[in-house]
Amino acid sequence: MKRRDALKLIAGAAALPALYSQDLFALGRQIHQQLGSATAPKTLNPHQNATISAIAEMIIPATDTPGAKAARVPEFIDLILTEWCTGDDCGQFINGLAETDARSRKIFGKDFVGCDPQQQTELLTALDEELTQLREANVRGRPHASAARREVETPVERNFFYVMKRLTLIGYYTSEVGWTKELGRPPVHMGPYQGCVPLADAPGKTNAS
Amino acid sequence: MPANTYDAIVIGSGMTGGWAAKELGQKGLNTLVLEAGRSIDPAKDYCEHVPTWGVKFRGLRDRRKELKTQPIQRTCYACDEWAAKFFVNDLENPYTTPADKPFSFIRGRHVGGRSIMWGRQTYRWSDLDFEANAREGIGVDWPIRYADIAPWYDYVEEFAGISGQAENLPQLPDGRFLPPMAMNCAEVVVKDAIATTWPGERLMTIGRCAILTRPHNGRMACHYCGECHRGCISRAYFSSLNATLPVALATGKVTLRPYSIVHGLNYDGQTGRVTGVRVIDAQTRQALEYRAKVIFLCASTLESARILLNSPTSQFPNGLANSSGELGHNLMDHAMGSGASGMIPGYEGKIDVGERPNGIYVPRFRNVKTKSPFLRGYGYQGGAGRSDWERGENLAGFGVEFKRSLKKPGPWHFDMGSFCECLPDHNNYVELDRSHTDAWGVPILKINCAYGPNEKALLQDAAIAAAEMLAAAGARDIQTFVEDNAPGLAIHEMGTARMGRDPKTSVLNAYNQAHDVKNLFITDGACMASSSCVNPSITYMALTARACHYAVEQMKRGEI
Repeated sequence: MKRRDALKLIAGAAALPALYSQDLFALGRQIHQQLGSATAPKTLNPHQNATISAIAEMIIPATDTPGAKAARVPEFIDLILTEWCTGDDCGQFINGLAETDARSRKIFGKDFVGCDPQQQTELLTALDEELTQLREANVRGRPHASAARREVETPVERNFFYVMKRLTLIGYYTSEVGWTKELGRPPVHMGPYQGCVPLADAPGKTNAS
Repeated sequence: MPANTYDAIVIGSGMTGGWAAKELGQKGLNTLVLEAGRSIDPAKDYCEHVPTWGVKFRGLRDRRKELKTQPIQRTCYACDEWAAKFFVNDLENPYTTPADKPFSFIRGRHVGGRSIMWGRQTYRWSDLDFEANAREGIGVDWPIRYADIAPWYDYVEEFAGISGQAENLPQLPDGRFLPPMAMNCAEVVVKDAIATTWPGERLMTIGRCAILTRPHNGRMACHYCGECHRGCISRAYFSSLNATLPVALATGKVTLRPYSIVHGLNYDGQTGRVTGVRVIDAQTRQALEYRAKVIFLCASTLESARILLNSPTSQFPNGLANSSGELGHNLMDHAMGSGASGMIPGYEGKIDVGERPNGIYVPRFRNVKTKSPFLRGYGYQGGAGRSDWERGENLAGFGVEFKRSLKKPGPWHFDMGSFCECLPDHNNYVELDRSHTDAWGVPILKINCAYGPNEKALLQDAAIAAAEMLAAAGARDIQTFVEDNAPGLAIHEMGTARMGRDPKTSVLNAYNQAHDVKNLFITDGACMASSSCVNPSITYMALTARACHYAVEQMKRGEI
């Protein structure tokens, strides 16, 4: 089912065949461990890194579960900028970051990271509202465009805060911390498929009150 | 027996090559299976249980690499960050097209072929399909009818294990089904609405698929991890690697040789038979030859045509077994990418548990009992689900409340997309482009293929009819879509060596045997004389088993 949410995995494993008691997740763990401790960013300078770390943590803050920084979202964003972006993607993002600082200086006389939490929230709220307006002005840009047209970015996809939010969510919810601690799901579903059960019986999706 | 000589050679180890290997091996033939690509070791290569944090780009794929080496393959949904290794390098495997006729040639070159990454949907053809060409005077008449293939559907289904729900529809015959998978809450809503609104005309059933819902023939039942295209260590879905090849190799009669690129067949003009194959070892580049009494070409629709086109002889200057001039012609795929989506209200307190690797199916209803202004019809695949955290990128908000809201599942959405029958057309064809070669020096294909007005009319109609059904189900925010996809993307390419009754207008007879060369059989998608609208693999499997049975009978009688 290609259109289903590919990353949606939920609990329900009961008795599993002996095969699965073996270390099937070893590979994933190993790769994760190879990341080692936090590495210095390759594309972002220390100031830029501090700025995206602050914004990521504001999007997904630590609550009773870890937030974006603990899930190493900033490292993920730096990886995307360093090894994934093409064309002017990276430059566009860096520009968006600089523009955020410029706005911050204009309004508050300080870079974003130098602002107090209330000022930061004010600025991020403005960015988010602008993104909402952009979204409403460009409804349904591409969900079912042909393959060739999907390659062309929509105005929303070029928006700095859209990219920042998207990368924060991906970096967070696809991390081991985000997946297992925040969403409460096992790495892989192993059990029967049940088509229609009460949320309370579906571990991992219910613990949001 | 002299060195490099076998009773049978099977070219290709995928969906049909695996079946040919199993059938011929079980019937006692010394069989050589030649696979162009590498070996796959399930213990090392399958990766369906690697979590998203186990891949470098967290599911966003190695974009720079794929743009460079897999610009075509990357358009396939299954060529993801985990499974990209099961798709070819486009630089090593080029093809050309006219500038105004793009074609998406999605390929795997390894033991198991595309049976590793296939969509696993399995639907029988009916006489509505087999009789269509004759009834409408399009292409050539199929030399077989449903009664000829029905026992072979039974045969391959019993081995492969097909889950599904019997519906007693004449246009979509029931099979030997394992228990069906369940529909989820929102799917049941849509199913009931369709049944109520179009009784006796339209219905929705759970997808029929080659996935085990209980243990079967030594393979385990599905545990719903949901990522079949990355492999399946429990062997719950059918692939040649999971099912047919192990049985074939266990006969002790079958030899599997990977890295063996067949680029031509040898033909003896005196006897009118093929005598063997010309091979390039993909690793050493050494030229090799193997001989056999009978050859099964199971290299895939386009590759099988390429091998024959690259084997001209004085008797067949335009490609081996091509006295009809139809070799390479009548290429079809299923036109796909139109349909509708919408939100299904209600059931906020319910969810589905597990990643069901299967969806729903709406069988063809156009031109079955009613008459439409276009020919043939389409079926839909799709399903319902609740959106997850990914929806956050399109929602306003950030912070504690935003995080809390993303922990809950979003609303139910339902998507359905059509697969439309493609008419056979002599003007859709492949030819050899001798000015270019692949990484092993073999001339490449030039593919000339475009959809015509009938396919486009089907796509348009399917979008509207899908919206009607969602509206009947009370869906909200219904959107129709008609994508402008190039042929090939459904990865159901077929035709190029069609079966038929007349050697003057077809390449193969009713048993997939070349009219011109009695010991040559082509049992992959190349053999198809029309395309139906259903996923074709189970039909290729049935035709392969049937052709193997026939070939061995003919050998016993001394005819081959």
